[in-house]
Amino acid sequence: MKRVKIGSGSAFWGDMLEPALELAERADVKYIGFDHLAELTMALLNRIKLKDPQKGYVPDIVPWMKRLLPITMPKGIKLITNAGGANPLQAAEEVKSIIRELGLGPAKIGVVFGDDILPYINEIRSEGWKFKNLDTGEEDIARIEDRIVAANAYIGADLIIKELKEGADIIITGRASDSALYVGPLMYEFGWDFSDEYTDLIAAAITVGHIIECAACVTGGMSNMWKVAERPWDVGFPVAEVCENGEAVITKTPDSGGIVNEWTVKEHLIYEVMDPANYIMPDGVADFTSVKIHEEGRNRVRVTNMKGKPRPETLKVCIGYRDGFIGEGWVFFPWPDALEKAKWAERWIRERFKRIGIQFEELRIDYVGINMLHGEVAPVEDKDYNEVGLRIVAKTKTREEAEAVRRGATHIWTAGPLGTSFGVPLSVRPVIALWPSLVPREAVRTESRTLEVR
Amino acid sequence: MPKVFLKELAFARSGDKGDVSNIGVMAKSGSIYEFLLGVITPERVKKHFKGMVKGDVEIYPMPNIESIEVVLRRALGGGATSTLRFDQTGKSMCTALLRMEVEVSEDLLREAREVDKKIEQKCGERK
Repeated sequence: MKRVKIGSGSAFWGDMLEPALELAERADVKYIGFDHLAELTMALLNRIKLKDPQKGYVPDIVPWMKRLLPITMPKGIKLITNAGGANPLQAAEEVKSIIRELGLGPAKIGVVFGDDILPYINEIRSEGWKFKNLDTGEEDIARIEDRIVAANAYIGADLIIKELKEGADIIITGRASDSALYVGPLMYEFGWDFSDEYTDLIAAAITVGHIIECAACVTGGMSNMWKVAERPWDVGFPVAEVCENGEAVITKTPDSGGIVNEWTVKEHLIYEVMDPANYIMPDGVADFTSVKIHEEGRNRVRVTNMKGKPRPETLKVCIGYRDGFIGEGWVFFPWPDALEKAKWAERWIRERFKRIGIQFEELRIDYVGINMLHGEVAPVEDKDYNEVGLRIVAKTKTREEAEAVRRGATHIWTAGPLGTSFGVPLSVRPVIALWPSLVPREAVRTESRTLEVR
Repeated sequence: MPKVFLKELAFARSGDKGDVSNIGVMAKSGSIYEFLLGVITPERVKKHFKGMVKGDVEIYPMPNIESIEVVLRRALGGGATSTLRFDQTGKSMCTALLRMEVEVSEDLLREAREVDKKIEQKCGERK
């Protein structure tokens, strides 16, 4: 039976490069997928592109391709990355220069773009589509229309498959869904299409893609297995050995650190899922309640029995809009009476903010070391702590008010109790809020192009 | 019956989708899974999180992997990009759930400890 090995080389913009290089060198994979985008990333990249039209892709792609391509091009490993971000065409130009510079040609670069619906969002609205908010249920984006800074549809594997058929060695996309980076090559290799007979197999590909797409998160990172993972500092990125019947084995780069076992695969199967019977992706709907997981050997877990439903008529779209500013400051208090000092400082800052007269949208005060993470769920012990921090953070309509919050926190440095310590001040940040919604699939004007480097 | 933290009986991991926090709870055995279905209820989870979860709590059983997906709506202070929480993406929400206290039989607790021991042994052999 035909079998394809595919690896995951990145989970986010800023991930580690070394495990990706080791994956390319040692894991005998044919494809590597790279996810560089999170919900917020497209808004950031759009802002960068507004300032400089030659930018807006994930800048990591340049140093990464310089190191990866000399390994992958001679081996014929194909790379599929969504590092194109808000400017896939320019990212492709950069990669083209790298290939020329390093003399790695001839090569073909597939570029997939058009996921950015912002240029024509009002045309879609004029046809009666209101972009209902999936989180809040608000019916219409009219309230935020003059503040929108990004609107990207999560696109599927269609054009990735097309570019693989064109013979692309590297495929650079905009906001392709993480799973599409894996579904694309698997559908291409096995000759699957979107007709009904392949529905369960595509669901299998989505499931496999979901399991490995976060790189180290299935090989012992972010894990309940953190105490028992081998040489976690040498963590290996994951590999899926996928059969044409849809079954797969999840493993990792040979001789790498980390761990793949029953639990690390379960951890990722349940990760960031809403209804597990309906994991909705642009290429299909996977049912995670049918999957069987079996640890068949050291760092080898078999996943079988994947089922699913056909792809939806709509695509998810993340609309980012400007929504005020956040000002933040941190102060730390030492033994003795650290908690009491922090409480004193909370009262001090609240009184001070009243006196300055800041209009908050929201003000939050955390006790670092006490309740910053577990909030109201954390019981507070009455004891003399070694140190306690106070985190003062607020959302405001204007930058000036956020700045006043940040500054207010710094005033505790000199006006606070004995031993008050502070470090470096933080800077005010603008808030890009997200409005998750759906858009009809056919309304998204995706296209692709093949660039040749001789 | 001993009263223990949920962490003795299950593993968990959490992430985010907008303002939704999703927590996957993985029971350490099949019989613990059956037991947890009666313990991890929307009402109890919502109460456990006190004011941190503003919206509904949904529970999705996954018998195939003896796990429970817990979906907490309006639970992250507005979502990663606009929340004032330090843990913007709710990665620590799973551990907050694991500190829920449950009364459990000695048998189930023993079963859970054996699973922990087995994991440690297996991994000890590798090192």
